Amino acid sequence: MHNMLLIARREYLERVRSKAFLFMTIFIPALMLGVTVVPSLIAMRASGTKNILIAASDRETADLIRKQLEHSDEVLDDDTGNRNKSLASRYQVDATTDVTDAQRAAMTEKVKTKQLDGVIWAPDEALAANKATYITRDVTSFIDRAVISRSVSRAANRRLLHKKGLGDIEIEAALKPVDMETVNPAGTGPSNPMTTFLSVFAMVMIMYVSVLLYGINVMRAVLDEKTSRIMEVMLSTATPNQMMVGKILGVGAVGLTQIAIWALAAALPSLGLLASPGVLKGVVSVKLLSYFPVFFLLGYALYSTMYAAIGALVNSEQETQQLQFLVAMPLILSVIVLVQVLQHPETPLGFWASFFPFTSPLIMFARIALATDPVPPWQIAISVGLLVVTIYGLILLCGRIYRVGILMYGKKPTLPEIIKWIKYA
Amino acid sequence: MYTIELSKVRKTYDHFVAVDDLSFNIEQGSMCGLLGPNGAGKTSTIRMMIGITAPDSGDIQIFGKPFTRTSLKRVGYLPEERGLYKKMKVLDQLVFLGQLHGLEASQARQRALAWSEKLEISGWLQNKVEELSKGMQQKIQFIATLVHDPDFIVMDEPFGGLDPVNASLLKDVLLELKAQGKTILFSTHRMDQAEKLCDSICLINRGKSVLHGDLKQIKAQYGKNNVQIEYEGDGDFLQQSQLVGSYNNYGNYVEVRLAPGADAQQLLHAVAERSRVSKFELMEPSLEEIFKDKVGKTDA
Repeated sequence: MHNMLLIARREYLERVRSKAFLFMTIFIPALMLGVTVVPSLIAMRASGTKNILIAASDRETADLIRKQLEHSDEVLDDDTGNRNKSLASRYQVDATTDVTDAQRAAMTEKVKTKQLDGVIWAPDEALAANKATYITRDVTSFIDRAVISRSVSRAANRRLLHKKGLGDIEIEAALKPVDMETVNPAGTGPSNPMTTFLSVFAMVMIMYVSVLLYGINVMRAVLDEKTSRIMEVMLSTATPNQMMVGKILGVGAVGLTQIAIWALAAALPSLGLLASPGVLKGVVSVKLLSYFPVFFLLGYALYSTMYAAIGALVNSEQETQQLQFLVAMPLILSVIVLVQVLQHPETPLGFWASFFPFTSPLIMFARIALATDPVPPWQIAISVGLLVVTIYGLILLCGRIYRVGILMYGKKPTLPEIIKWIKYA
Repeated sequence: MYTIELSKVRKTYDHFVAVDDLSFNIEQGSMCGLLGPNGAGKTSTIRMMIGITAPDSGDIQIFGKPFTRTSLKRVGYLPEERGLYKKMKVLDQLVFLGQLHGLEASQARQRALAWSEKLEISGWLQNKVEELSKGMQQKIQFIATLVHDPDFIVMDEPFGGLDPVNASLLKDVLLELKAQGKTILFSTHRMDQAEKLCDSICLINRGKSVLHGDLKQIKAQYGKNNVQIEYEGDGDFLQQSQLVGSYNNYGNYVEVRLAPGADAQQLLHAVAERSRVSKFELMEPSLEEIFKDKVGKTDA
């Protein structure tokens, strides 16, 4: 026990002090922010204010469209539930009632020579056929497209209703979108299904990436000891099992530390702006935050034990490819099942996958996070129990492979040889 | 009192017999050489002594008691394949290995500092191992073996790959430790080293013990029937089979084993007849010759 803790402590300290740890701790959240938030920010802000000309048959229609465009933040509001102020002053809008072909050609030329960013061509004939044209150089800007199409539609609707003789208040009432709320039979449903989905998905993905990352770290650590030949020095005082378990504990503690740092950073109000705590409230509960480390550690222990055995089997990282894939298969499978579970937490597939030890860490956690009727405690207990038993069995099994493997250099062992190692008393 | 006793130890890997019926003891406070050609079973024997592998049959006693893992705290082991954590700082590494052998951190630190002072490497303790030269790494490896002040020191081919300076340093350290009453076992395939350092030897070949015991006694058994001759001129005398049992021509000199019953004086006359003798010395056979003699017989 003493040796095991010493080995775990060394592994932990060496890793936490390393530059790689610092880098990963900062880099992974930065990467996640990078791929999610930054592109949309760039897309929204990149072009600054756009000069747009509205061409309609009459002043009234042009003004309607302009009004809609200038309040385009409200337009977006219906779609995403997010108010985005940055769009409010996005468009500098002018209007013209000259809808001749010559004018169109002239305006198109202006867009071409960058005097204008876009022209909304909405003469009466086109609107009557529910059509309009947006002439721009940025044909791929989906945000512009969405905003403008929405604005023109609304303006056209208003104009139509107005012509039918409705007053402003009536039109306002008629066009107001329905605010729909999703509730489950128990009446305890999340306030925002999209946010729940995304945050649970993010948590499970973090668990998945961490289990894989730290499992592979254990494999590398074993391989490193093998290639640096310190193995035999260690073996003169420590048993192979102490070395294997110590290593797994040490690396696992590093993983937990890293996740704790991320969790704390996310909880800090200053950084919380991006995750907007208000939205996450009621989704990420204390219950989930306490289940996360439990299932992370169990999943990690399960996979890292197998990765440790791989590290002991081979002599170089190149040789690990196939074996690594074999071990990662059930983990990848978990993610495939997860996609279904996120949509329908109570399907039989999800149910059984939350007990099968190689998928249960991810799936049981997802079920606990999403199920409308809380997952019965006995189910969680069975799932955890099965995991613990499997981990124990794997430690015994992989311990045997490890014990023989770490002293074997030279060619990669064949399957019959590995089986023979396991049989050695 | 024996530090380690092996009796009828056997180890097989699949169908290959690595160590076969091996028995020998090492007296406390002595230095023993485990000798044999490559693949003779030296490393397999050593690994069983320190519990890395278990013998298939036979018995191993260490410090007068049956083998237990706790006795390993008193053993210092230097494997043939040296290894240290490359990215770990030297001092941290020595303290860690000391702790694994049951030292307190502070004690391990103190010992590591003392040893590095002695081996003149104190200036490098805060560096990572990978930043050190090979010679320095070897010194660190010695300290790692000795930091917990073991009573029984086991070194597998300790002189392999050492530069002359470090080899002589290691030799001095080993002799000093022996003077302190430590028991030392080292394996080597170089007979001359064992001959210079060891009190006793165990010669093994193909997993079997060929010869073991006190080095002086062994050599005395073989008697002074070897002659080293330096001469200029005709080497015909080497063919006189009633005088010369066997010989080894090293170029600058020739070593002759007298034929049974032959007199060295007769040989001297025979040489002097046809050539100029600059050196003629009666001596004990070298370990190498004893080994060749023994292995030749067992192989035949």
